[in-house]
Amino acid sequence: MLKKKFKLLLEIYIAFFKLGSISFGGGYSMIPLIEREVVEDKKWVDKQKIIDIFAVSESLPGAIGLNSSAFVGYSVAGIPGAIFALLGNLTPSVIIVLTLSVVFMKFNNNPSVKSAFRGIYPAIVGLVAYASYKMGKTALEDKACIGIMIVTFCCSMFLQIDPIPLIVSGAIAGVVISSVKMIIKARRNSGVIMQEKEKNF
Amino acid sequence: MMMLFKLGLMFAKLCVFAFGGGYVMIPSLIKASEANHWATASELTDVVAIAGMTPGPVAVNAAVGFGYKVAGFPGAVASFLGIAVPCALIVIIVATFFFKIYAHPKVKAVLYGLRPVITGIILYAAVSIALKNSIIGAVPGKLIEKGFNISALGVNLFEVKSVVIVLTTFLFLKKTKIQPIFMIVGAGVLGVVIF
Repeated sequence: MLKKKFKLLLEIYIAFFKLGSISFGGGYSMIPLIEREVVEDKKWVDKQKIIDIFAVSESLPGAIGLNSSAFVGYSVAGIPGAIFALLGNLTPSVIIVLTLSVVFMKFNNNPSVKSAFRGIYPAIVGLVAYASYKMGKTALEDKACIGIMIVTFCCSMFLQIDPIPLIVSGAIAGVVISSVKMIIKARRNSGVIMQEKEKNF
Repeated sequence: MMMLFKLGLMFAKLCVFAFGGGYVMIPSLIKASEANHWATASELTDVVAIAGMTPGPVAVNAAVGFGYKVAGFPGAVASFLGIAVPCALIVIIVATFFFKIYAHPKVKAVLYGLRPVITGIILYAAVSIALKNSIIGAVPGKLIEKGFNISALGVNLFEVKSVVIVLTTFLFLKKTKIQPIFMIVGAGVLGVVIF
């Protein structure tokens, strides 16, 4: 019984390993491939269910390909299935990372490689800065948010505070500020209602 | 052996960021590296560079690269499992309760406060990398070779060639749909030429 379960988990791992290695375009490129493998070939999930899985995966944060993989794995073999599916999906990119890491370590002392990296580091700075900017576009809804961001940046930069305390504080601040906003809004509304009543009176 | 456990645990704590916001891990990685003498700042930047070039989520790639730098293949495996297994669990748990909680005002309130914090931390990560690699505020003795620094009042403000690359990369990302990997490769080629 246990052997059968393990065989299934292995099958899941291999199936998603295949999927992970052929869909390098990212984004939605994995969808049709998952459908072909999971619905038609392996018949693990039926057509209706896979559409539901894709729909939920898309609304969750994170890559749709990864979320879908975890889901399919979960529907086939519960939590272990989800884990094996995700691991399988990620393994190809992990192999590439390791290969590149080894290669770069070997060529570390080559002067041309060093110069190349002097160009790459600033590009990374630009990349990470852009990630912040992109998040900021949806995150900074109002002045309170901007304030939170600035405080977070200063705490990290000048006080060297760890991210996790900042994140917890941010969550608490979010709840507090939202409540305050609601109270202000309610007061304003009741003020308007009072004025209306006086007019009609 | 202890180190592998430490690595796995560290990435388990950071695994939440595998979901859109992988770069948030960077300051934590820098701190952990310095505290444990695991890797230097430029080695870390190398890891981030490789993570950006590779397909797959940045957080996972960075975890693996970092684990390898610190403890070879066993380190890579420990970090990978540390970040991927909790991830799978989180996806399942969140999805199960997702539709019930997403519209809940308390959850919205939490996210409202959380997102600016993440934005701030990622911004700090960018500044931190720039500082540690002497792109801005370079300390004498750690200057970029063949770089050209602009200083004021005896303090190095920034290195011109690097800053140009930073700005160019940012603009390209903003205005075009060119994939990051091409920009990293392009920046590498440029680096060979101008440095």
